[in-house]
Amino acid sequence: MPSGPSAISINGLTKRYGKITAVNRLDLEVPPGEIFGFLGLNGAGKTTTIRILLDLLRPTSGHAAVFGHDCQSDSLQARSAVGYLPGEMGIYSDLTGRELLVFLERIGGKPVSGKHRNNLIERFELSDRDLSRKLREYSTGMKRKLGLIQAFQADPLLLILDEPTEGLDPLMQEAFYQLLADVRKRGRTVFMSSHVLPEVERVCDRIAMLRKGEIVLLSSVEDARKLSSRRVRVTFGEDVDPPPNLPPGYELIDAQPRAWTLRVTGQLGGLPSFLVAFPVADLAVEEAGLEDVLVRYYREVAE
Amino acid sequence: MTALFHLIAQLLHRVRKLLLSAGVLLAAFQVVLILQANSIQSSNSFSKMGDLIPPFLRDILGSSFAMFLSFKGIVCLGYFHPVVMGALFSVSVTLATIPVMEIETGFIDLVLARSLARHWIVTRSLLVALISTVYLLAMMAVGTWLGLNKFAAKDAGWPSFEVVGSLAINLGLLMLSWAAIAMAIGCACRRRGSAGAIAGLLALTAYLTDYIARAWKPAESIAWLSPFRYYTPFDLVMGAPLPAKNLYVLGGIAVAGFALAYVLYMRRDISH
Repeated sequence: MPSGPSAISINGLTKRYGKITAVNRLDLEVPPGEIFGFLGLNGAGKTTTIRILLDLLRPTSGHAAVFGHDCQSDSLQARSAVGYLPGEMGIYSDLTGRELLVFLERIGGKPVSGKHRNNLIERFELSDRDLSRKLREYSTGMKRKLGLIQAFQADPLLLILDEPTEGLDPLMQEAFYQLLADVRKRGRTVFMSSHVLPEVERVCDRIAMLRKGEIVLLSSVEDARKLSSRRVRVTFGEDVDPPPNLPPGYELIDAQPRAWTLRVTGQLGGLPSFLVAFPVADLAVEEAGLEDVLVRYYREVAE
Repeated sequence: MTALFHLIAQLLHRVRKLLLSAGVLLAAFQVVLILQANSIQSSNSFSKMGDLIPPFLRDILGSSFAMFLSFKGIVCLGYFHPVVMGALFSVSVTLATIPVMEIETGFIDLVLARSLARHWIVTRSLLVALISTVYLLAMMAVGTWLGLNKFAAKDAGWPSFEVVGSLAINLGLLMLSWAAIAMAIGCACRRRGSAGAIAGLLALTAYLTDYIARAWKPAESIAWLSPFRYYTPFDLVMGAPLPAKNLYVLGGIAVAGFALAYVLYMRRDISH
């Protein structure tokens, strides 16, 4: 276990807007060095939580801390360790890309290594010409790349990224994943919200799922995947009738005369003995996906 | 302090076109007024102008009526002409509501995610408002100086340096007080449009209140509430010294407005 304070520590955090509760008694610990996925539908409270961590919003009650520094009472220290990518990047369009990076470096009070910044610029394939253009001429993808560069450029201990790959093409997404792998190797912590579940599955160590301001699932990606059901597609050599009874955990979701699709929750060990009585021609098991468990989780909690 | 310097430089860069164009237009307006005054003077038309002014307007203007019928009066008009006042007010409100605009656009998220205290944002805007006011008044003074030196006869009855200086100081403080009021309103609003509209309506009401009170005695009981009450260009042009009371009241409004802006900005949620 890593020693020292948590990269992020949230205790009983609540944020209300009048009668609306955006975040409700949230508790969360993110240890240093972890890549943490913060998931939830729109309006679940992800961005509100992130903005409280940056002292942009003030909590109604509870506390949040970054590396032991309270995000409100000691916010300068807390923010000195953070690189932030907002979900919607508000920019001043009369600046060039380079001017924005330099301006943000200068007000950040932390020198940026030119080598490191150039490395980021190369990774995200922004040319000198791109950086000399006014931001009003930037496409959505270019703005996103610039946003990522400004978040990473001071090499912060904690990266808070709100929907980091939104607007990036697949090549740039790949560049971003490689960058995450590199910062992980150097012990940096990443706290990212995302809607892209395959991305979360690929890069995150742990996830928290938020619903109506409350955490409804907090686990490792592996454990979350175990909660999911798998789809099994069985093809038969001749017509078969659907069985009157299915073993526990099995659900027949599509039954054709020569093909069934089953949803199996839990281990697949009992599958061969169940199918032994049928003229099975082929069998295909779809890998358990995080998307499936999250959708199911949302549905169950909603019900 | 380094961060503050960069914040100020960035904001001045951002508003450079507005300031440059406003400065040039205001200076040009002074020159145009001097050309006009020169033209009237050359044709000996000041007395004819007096005959054209209706009696009720003479009553409103009182003893300062005579001021308008002089070369000096027309030159000084550039420091309290409604067009000039409106232009200066617009620039002041535009600059003062930049903090709320930055919240609305989300630009401030990138800035305040750094290790930067919130109060620097208000301090930066205050200093830029101050720099801009001084710059615009200086441009007006340059326009006056250029116009007089290039187009006016030496014996035309130029306004003294003290009169122009008093007008500029009084007008500058008036504009700073409106900048402070607009900034405080902006720090309490979610939208720049709302802040600008509220500040504009407030200023129009205050201006009309002051104007009406000059002709209609009952309105005088509330006219003291208008910051415009503490800008007395007619008296200054007539040679009266700049009243310390005006400076204290307008300075007090500016200090109170900026202080309120600090408190509101420090306490508010930054959300767009």
